[in-house]
Amino acid sequence: MDSLLRHAWRLARKDLLVEFRSRTAILSAVVFTVLVLVVFNFGRDPTAVAAVDLAPSILWVTFTFAAMLALNRAFQLELENQALDGLLLAPVHRASIYLGKLLANLAFVAAVECVGLPLFALFFNVRVLPVLVPLAGVIALATVGFVAVGTLFSAMTARTRFAELLLPVLLLPFMIPPLIWAVLATGALLAGRPLSEIGGWLKLLAAFDLAFIVVAFLLFPATVNE
Amino acid sequence: MPEGMPQNSGFMVAAYITAAVILVTYAFLLYRRTLKP
Amino acid sequence: MTLLKTGRWITAVALALLAAVYVRALAFTPIERAQGAAQKIFYIHVPSAWCAMLAMGLVGIAGILYLLLKDPRFDRFGEASAEVGTAFSCVMLTTGPLWGKPIWGTWWTWDARLTLTLFLFLLFLGYLLLRGAVTDRGLRARYSAVLGICGLVLLPFIHLSVYFFRTLHPQPIVLKPSAPSLPGSMLVTLLFSFGVFTLLYVGFVTQRYALAVLRESAESGGAHA
Repeated sequence: MDSLLRHAWRLARKDLLVEFRSRTAILSAVVFTVLVLVVFNFGRDPTAVAAVDLAPSILWVTFTFAAMLALNRAFQLELENQALDGLLLAPVHRASIYLGKLLANLAFVAAVECVGLPLFALFFNVRVLPVLVPLAGVIALATVGFVAVGTLFSAMTARTRFAELLLPVLLLPFMIPPLIWAVLATGALLAGRPLSEIGGWLKLLAAFDLAFIVVAFLLFPATVNE
Repeated sequence: MPEGMPQNSGFMVAAYITAAVILVTYAFLLYRRTLKP
Repeated sequence: MTLLKTGRWITAVALALLAAVYVRALAFTPIERAQGAAQKIFYIHVPSAWCAMLAMGLVGIAGILYLLLKDPRFDRFGEASAEVGTAFSCVMLTTGPLWGKPIWGTWWTWDARLTLTLFLFLLFLGYLLLRGAVTDRGLRARYSAVLGICGLVLLPFIHLSVYFFRTLHPQPIVLKPSAPSLPGSMLVTLLFSFGVFTLLYVGFVTQRYALAVLRESAESGGAHA
């Protein structure tokens, strides 16, 4: 168990080092975030549409895109030089590979979210600080949800034709439920509704995360074994 | 027809025909595909 | 009799019985007064929804069995069930809004039935696309099993989220299109339709499975990949 975590952490570090050295994906994610925020800001009529109405959807569009960027790249790294075979030959548990990828992807998306959320609060003049903790909770739970499934699927699509097209299509039905719960919860929080109201969505998100992380751990070996 | 009842048999006809078309077409396609794989 | 012939016969019988369902539903079942003739779409929509869900469930179970037992027959069955499920999902997706518009006043609503319809269709589509993208047979079987199982796990969450959504957003119209207690004649029509649709599912899947077998033998009998 201990070596499982250690190996996973090593693998995650490797991926993150590679990514942060080149910085292409994270930069495009941040640029996209800023772009979306600016466009939506100019696109709405402030007297007709309150920022708070659009805010949750805009926030989650940007986060979802960041997640897709991370996931698309997740296993691309290993395709070059058949690094995946090297990884599989190493004396690491298959589960470590999944966990390592998951951690790396989560770190990537979390980085984009840490940039995106303050920018979003700034551009839209939305009061995020009073609800920061529950909001962070919602964001964390939803992100874990779709990154968990996405990491599993990207292991499969990486070796197919049209990988970048196939991954979003496969992922769509799995991203919609956590995304909807997250958007609803975010909307409720930003509108100042009491915490008790979002309890249901938080529970759903947590249950979703738990179910799919367990399922992904169980199924990941099937995606890489010969 | 009794008064007060909505006149929506058009939808019913459309739905029944659409369903039949889909199912029969699929049956036909299966038949064709299994004739000469 | 070969599997293919059996499948064809079952399908033929089921289609003939489907015609009988049509006659019974359209001519010999009373019209529901509050909802009008459109309510009869129910006799086609609900059984096809059942078949689509059955198809998805069996795809998931076949996936689990394949990963556990490595028997390619389960993979073939999954492939067959997914394609047939797609066909029934198309019936659901078309009859659903056609039923919704006259009854609820809107073509689409995020209620349990229609939302599940959409998700099932997307899952089936993803499954078939994934299969199309992978050429190696063993890999394809494993990937399909993984996706099928994930789809199965997703279904309860869809149901739960619709339930939550519904408690917040009341439906556009008060009518309940499928009341749990139906007058006798309507119940008989519905049950008859259920039986026929299920039979149709069996016939389709049998043929599609036979097709998969035929393709595989053609593949291995022909050029060596």
